Amino acid sequence: MADITFDGVTKIYADKIRAVDELSLHVADGEFMVLVGPSGCGKTTALRMLAGLEDITSGSLSIGGAVVNNVLPKDRDVAMVFQNYALYPHMTVAQNMGFALKIRGHSKFDIATKVSEAAAILRLTDYLDRRPKALSGGQRQRVAMGRAIVRSPQAFLMDEPLSNLDAQLRVEMRLEIARIQRLLGVATVYVTHDQIEAMTMGDRVAVMRGGKLQQCDTPQDLYDHPRNEFVAGFMGSPPMNLLRAGLDTTNGASLVLGTQRVAIPSSYATSHALPARDGLGVVFGIRPEDVQVVGADDDAGSLTTKVERREALGAEILVHLSLVDAAGTSTLVVNDDGAVVARPTTMVAKMGPRSGVAVGDQLRVRFNPDHFHFFDADSGDSLRKS
Amino acid sequence: MTTLLTPPAKSEQPSPSLGPVKKPKKVGRWILFAVMMIIAVIMLYPFWVMIITSLKSEAQFLAGTGFSWLSWSSLTSVIPIGQEVLSSTIVCSASILVILLVGLPAGFAFSKLRFRMSTMVFLLIVSAMMVPLQAILMTEFVNMTRLHLTGGYTGAILVYASLGTPFSVFLFTTYFRGVPDELIEAGIVDGLGYFGALWRLVVPIAVPAIATVTVLQFIQIWDDLLVGLFFIQNTSQRPITVGLAVLAAGRTTSIPELMAGSIISALPAMVVYLGFQRYLVKGLTMGIDR
Repeated sequence: MADITFDGVTKIYADKIRAVDELSLHVADGEFMVLVGPSGCGKTTALRMLAGLEDITSGSLSIGGAVVNNVLPKDRDVAMVFQNYALYPHMTVAQNMGFALKIRGHSKFDIATKVSEAAAILRLTDYLDRRPKALSGGQRQRVAMGRAIVRSPQAFLMDEPLSNLDAQLRVEMRLEIARIQRLLGVATVYVTHDQIEAMTMGDRVAVMRGGKLQQCDTPQDLYDHPRNEFVAGFMGSPPMNLLRAGLDTTNGASLVLGTQRVAIPSSYATSHALPARDGLGVVFGIRPEDVQVVGADDDAGSLTTKVERREALGAEILVHLSLVDAAGTSTLVVNDDGAVVARPTTMVAKMGPRSGVAVGDQLRVRFNPDHFHFFDADSGDSLRKS
Repeated sequence: MTTLLTPPAKSEQPSPSLGPVKKPKKVGRWILFAVMMIIAVIMLYPFWVMIITSLKSEAQFLAGTGFSWLSWSSLTSVIPIGQEVLSSTIVCSASILVILLVGLPAGFAFSKLRFRMSTMVFLLIVSAMMVPLQAILMTEFVNMTRLHLTGGYTGAILVYASLGTPFSVFLFTTYFRGVPDELIEAGIVDGLGYFGALWRLVVPIAVPAIATVTVLQFIQIWDDLLVGLFFIQNTSQRPITVGLAVLAAGRTTSIPELMAGSIISALPAMVVYLGFQRYLVKGLTMGIDR
């Protein structure tokens, strides 16, 4: 077992596309690191470079302290689980799981012992003589995991291993993979585009975009303190509400949202580098669960909104709100056909399943003053002082 | 519920228009069957004549009646049929082995490895499929003669291999393009090199493609006369097609013996074809749905 270090690793393809740009990341021994980001963000390329399936253009990549830039995949002692499982179709489950050991010249007894141990962990003992085509998606996924764990490698690399499973099985396998990883204590790099997987499985999560690392933190820190607008919008379901707002410092700092104002608690003046002058814009962020409905008579710091849409999810309702102006008109910009063309001040609020809101209702809402987020209007970087 | 009940009600009262629609379909099937029967008779008639003729003596053949095993029993004294079948087998097997040994790695490389000009080299090799044997026969003969390879099997094997390799490269490339890259990458991460991945992972799942190449090349090489005639000049190593041609060219040719020899010559190719027919169809249609 070993740690993994990306040190300024860059990958530029022949067509000049910079897939990974100066990636620096350390995965501690036994740590479960999740690389997450939208399609094309470079997360899979980073994983493939770690596996040795892609050359590294520049930078250095080390496993267990040894630089592996020019080490062949078979000599890196890493095991990989692929998105489509990549099981060997002509081999049985047992042969699939023991293949890597067979190549390395292990004895038949040793292979049989390790395979049966792994099969027991993965609850595959009854399926060892079956071919992959006779297995369900979840079982195939477990065989792919088994193939990785029998080797007792220095690191596990997983490339979206749950994306071919249905929603329920995905939840089960999420727990299963996390359990096995904790059991074995092997450094794991797990690639996914699903931020729920990232939040629930990773010890730490590295968010990537356009080949660059945006932020690497524990799931809770990422959620609570996103370093920029992208991370704020990417992590969380539904994502953080991001509203362009003006600043007014006349009577204490307040946010100007359309024609309405929200007072900014004084603590933010010290914890955040808010613009000093009036009129300069910021991007104000608030999580859907921090948008709270208050009574109609609550004027202090509350806003008037109109319910544009409601999505009942059973355990909660997502209510899409738009700020209204003084005349009570929605700030949604609508074209002649009635289609929404701009949502300058819309937000989503999470409400209880039995809150009787209906489309068209006017609601007074307030933002949880402990969880305001501010981002630079131009760069998108958080204004929070570190 | 209403929507569930509606379809059976419909099916209980079939539309009167369904009657006339069915009839042409049935007639069409009969016409197709008749046409296929006629084609089958045309194709099988020569075999029937071969079998009937081989079961007569020369005199019975000229008289048009009678039955005898004489032509079969005398065949071995007329031509060294056993040696010729062995020669054909050696040439066929060796040529196919070379074709597979070259075609499999080439197909793997063209489909899975990234290298400069790979598309152009692939097209160049595949374009050789369009060149007929007759067009290059003389130049090949000159080459092989200069290399002193026209005596025994070697020259013929090399010519057959060079003629069959482009097709095998094409077929294997098409097949391997359908094999997921992840399968090979999994093998590489597990500890294989590219050759290991080819022989231990890809070849075992390429059986239909290998069978297709083997059957098609076997039939082509086994039935070929021209290459054997030109490139195997040692009479004790000539293949069966050349042996039969020599028999047919004799001044006093026994037609029943010639027919008996022809049956022996045709049989292996037929057996191979019938035995591997299902692989052949699978192998030739693969890649269509990908």
